[in-house]
Amino acid sequence: MHDQNKLWRIALYGVLLYAAVYYLLPLYVMVTTSVKSMDEIRAGNLIALPMSITFDAWTKAWATACTGVDCNGLSGYFWNSVKMVIPAVLISTSLGALNGYVLSKWRFKGSELTFALILFGVFIPFQVVLLPMAQTLGWFGLARSVAGLIFVHVVFGIASTTLFFRNYYVGIPDELIKAARLDGAGFWRIFFKVVLPMSTPIVMVVLIWQFTQIWNDFLFGVVFSSGDSQPITVGLNNLANTSTSVKEYNVDMAAAIIAALPTIVVYVLAGKYFVRGLTAGAVKG
Amino acid sequence: MTQFNGPAQYGFAERWLPRLVLAPSFLLTLVFVYGFIAWNGYLSFTASRLLPNYEWVGLAQYETLFANERAWVAVKNLFIFGGLFIGGGMAMGILLAVFLDQKIRGEGVLRTLYLYPMALSFIVTGTAWKWMLNPGLGLEKLVHDWGFTSFTFDWLVNPDMSIYTVVIAGIWQSSGFVMALFLAGLRGIDDSIIKAAQIDGASLPRIYWRIVLPALRPVFFSTLMILAHIAIKSFDLVMALTGGGPGFSSDVPATFMYASAFTRGQMGVGAASAMMMLATVAAIVVPYLYSELRGSRNA
Amino acid sequence: MGALAIKNVTKRFGDTHILKGIDIHIDAGQFLILVGPSGCGKSTLMNIIAGLEAPTSGEVQIGERVVNDVAPKDRDIAMVFQSYALYPTMNVRQNIAFGMETRGVPRKEQEETITRVSKMLQIDHLLDRKPGQLSGGQRQRVAMGRALARNPTLFLFDEPLSNLDAKLRVEMRTEIKQLHHRLKTTIVYVTHDQIEAMTLGDRIAVMKDGVIQQFGSPEEIYERPANLFVAGFIGSPSMNFIDCHLAEQGGDVGISLQSEGGVRFVPLLDGRRFADRLGQKVILGVRPEQIEVAEEGEPALECKVHLTEPTGPDTMIFTQINGKEVIARVHPRAAGRPGDSMRLKLDVRKVVLFDPQTEARLN
Repeated sequence: MHDQNKLWRIALYGVLLYAAVYYLLPLYVMVTTSVKSMDEIRAGNLIALPMSITFDAWTKAWATACTGVDCNGLSGYFWNSVKMVIPAVLISTSLGALNGYVLSKWRFKGSELTFALILFGVFIPFQVVLLPMAQTLGWFGLARSVAGLIFVHVVFGIASTTLFFRNYYVGIPDELIKAARLDGAGFWRIFFKVVLPMSTPIVMVVLIWQFTQIWNDFLFGVVFSSGDSQPITVGLNNLANTSTSVKEYNVDMAAAIIAALPTIVVYVLAGKYFVRGLTAGAVKG
Repeated sequence: MTQFNGPAQYGFAERWLPRLVLAPSFLLTLVFVYGFIAWNGYLSFTASRLLPNYEWVGLAQYETLFANERAWVAVKNLFIFGGLFIGGGMAMGILLAVFLDQKIRGEGVLRTLYLYPMALSFIVTGTAWKWMLNPGLGLEKLVHDWGFTSFTFDWLVNPDMSIYTVVIAGIWQSSGFVMALFLAGLRGIDDSIIKAAQIDGASLPRIYWRIVLPALRPVFFSTLMILAHIAIKSFDLVMALTGGGPGFSSDVPATFMYASAFTRGQMGVGAASAMMMLATVAAIVVPYLYSELRGSRNA
Repeated sequence: MGALAIKNVTKRFGDTHILKGIDIHIDAGQFLILVGPSGCGKSTLMNIIAGLEAPTSGEVQIGERVVNDVAPKDRDIAMVFQSYALYPTMNVRQNIAFGMETRGVPRKEQEETITRVSKMLQIDHLLDRKPGQLSGGQRQRVAMGRALARNPTLFLFDEPLSNLDAKLRVEMRTEIKQLHHRLKTTIVYVTHDQIEAMTLGDRIAVMKDGVIQQFGSPEEIYERPANLFVAGFIGSPSMNFIDCHLAEQGGDVGISLQSEGGVRFVPLLDGRRFADRLGQKVILGVRPEQIEVAEEGEPALECKVHLTEPTGPDTMIFTQINGKEVIARVHPRAAGRPGDSMRLKLDVRKVVLFDPQTEARLN
């Protein structure tokens, strides 16, 4: 009985470690490939450790790699993404917090219906709004601009940020709001003095969720931007799929890591909130 | 409902502020979600090609769509990809969650490792797997170096197999997510149920199979819903990994829609295919949302 | 002077009628209890008094003022909530000060009030703690402190003791009563606990299904319950209800009761009032302490003891009359043992009769 138990534990750890290798392998390959030279890549194999480390591929990916006609690397795309992601995240999160507050604590006739309407926006396949949005952005002079992308991400981010905040605020006891109203506080004072100070966890979850979503978006980027307004995901895809004569896998991998770095850093620093965001709403049972 | 069940509101501010605060989001949603769906629906009944053209053509674009071989490849690929992606991701995620639930040392680290792909863009994932799966220098060469020189692995450039590379990368990215959902569900199960079953003499696999997993039915359905939703919307991964190729062998509805609407000057067909995608998602989501909302109202 | 008047207040959501015409008047300084089982509408009524919910129709008057259109903050009330509703991110001092800050009370006055209130409730050593660091009883005190700082004309307590353990609940009950004696403010207090209702209230409104079943002093409610529901709800152990028929014997109107020892006719006081109901079914209501041990030679019911429950000062005797289980509260020394036979009699001055159809009291 005891031996059987021990065997079972060993098998258990074996499977779990094997799975860890499976998840880590691509990351390992990306990193090692990015510091190899092309000669070494051709001579060696996928999982061999680099014999000598060179950061040429990194500098090339950042500054000189070709992404189509231009050969300025990913740096421009990277900064486009930064310029896009910060306002888009802040605006969509703020709107979500206010919506959630109203939908949970200041319900009025018709607010439930409004919530249901907004909620459906979480689920629509965005393909269905691409064509009208492209046209509309053109009318407002926002086509192919970072501002246009910010607008699109805010509009289609509202649904999930509202859902997150609303579900969190439903859990704040109504009695707290009643007490504050008896204490003479109004709509805004209750929000800023009572509700918002209690919201740190959900604010973190939503900020990280929105950051990850918007940074990693490709669909809106590729449809609504061009040239010098494209975000990093589009830049990476252009770089990796540009048909140059020689495929430089080390540059591709360095570029992929550059594109992934911000979200990886966030994941490492605040993984707890990231996981909470992913599982929020999905687990009720 | 003649009377509304909510807080009493006094004065102009309390009565109108909540509505005012909600108004921008409400209007944005109304216009940019529902208005645009209607607009796109309208486009799908017009002769639009490179540019919008509001000449009414009835169902002609849908006829073109259904007569298009490439569209059917995309639908077939969606079923292959969706089925394997959901099945594989589910199986792997549940297995890892159950294993991780056995009071594992270093659980936190393992969990972090399993889930990090979820933080990546599908474009990054696609680029990485494209390199590893490429027949020249990737996995194939590795296995050759190990001495199995007859080994071939050319799925990425093989029209019959290219969609399966998307499955591999998709499962890699999403199975950790399934694990996280089920692990959270497992942790929510009352310990005393398991203890009671142990006292009844049930073996561990039996306890999981008969008691724990059935208790996770709601998690199962939520996960199924989310994965199905990811599958139908998946665009980035295919674009980065295969670009829909070779040829259009690994096209999925999302890439088909993009190509029709934005690169091949068939806006009407693109709009029609987007409507079909919406209908598919709605068929899955609406019943789910309905039961969820009804459930929460009763709770 | 009237402190609170509720006039024909109704509340409904769609087809659900939560309150069906509530009328209550109390004077300044009175302690009003709203008591009833959950779902009876007592909390809704409390929220309507506070202005947190709007009545569908009817009028609420606090002091001399109709307050239907007055916001909660302007009603000159303070409320203690069941969950205490302390702001979790503020410490005790900030919790108490929040309302005063909102109303723009000068800082010096705020300090004085906090000092006075926290001394009175013995929470002055907790002022810098967050609610999460306090015990249930301490949170309860802070919640009361926050209400006291307001110095309102009307205090509202919404089941304030239901989250405390039994011992603390009794202590806090006494403290609330002392506080009321000291401050002489009007209090409206919601509870589902009939003991709290009896011990605290000057006036008790017993509610069920959105209707006030009886409104009166604790004595009235206990001695002369308006109907079966009130009789059964107030008192522990509950009043015994015995089905019987009105009969006449030797010119007296009374009831016949059957116990293990045989059938016995018990004449009622004022029995002739029921002469027109002779032969009809009635429900006899008798509280456990109204069943006494008969003296030697007195007419009595021979009852077999089925079970005894000693509580210390009294012992509960379980027996059977007219086929129904009946509890008698007797002195421990007089109590028989299970299987013994005891001679019991009813205190006919206090028993009550109910109509089985309308459930209303007859005598």
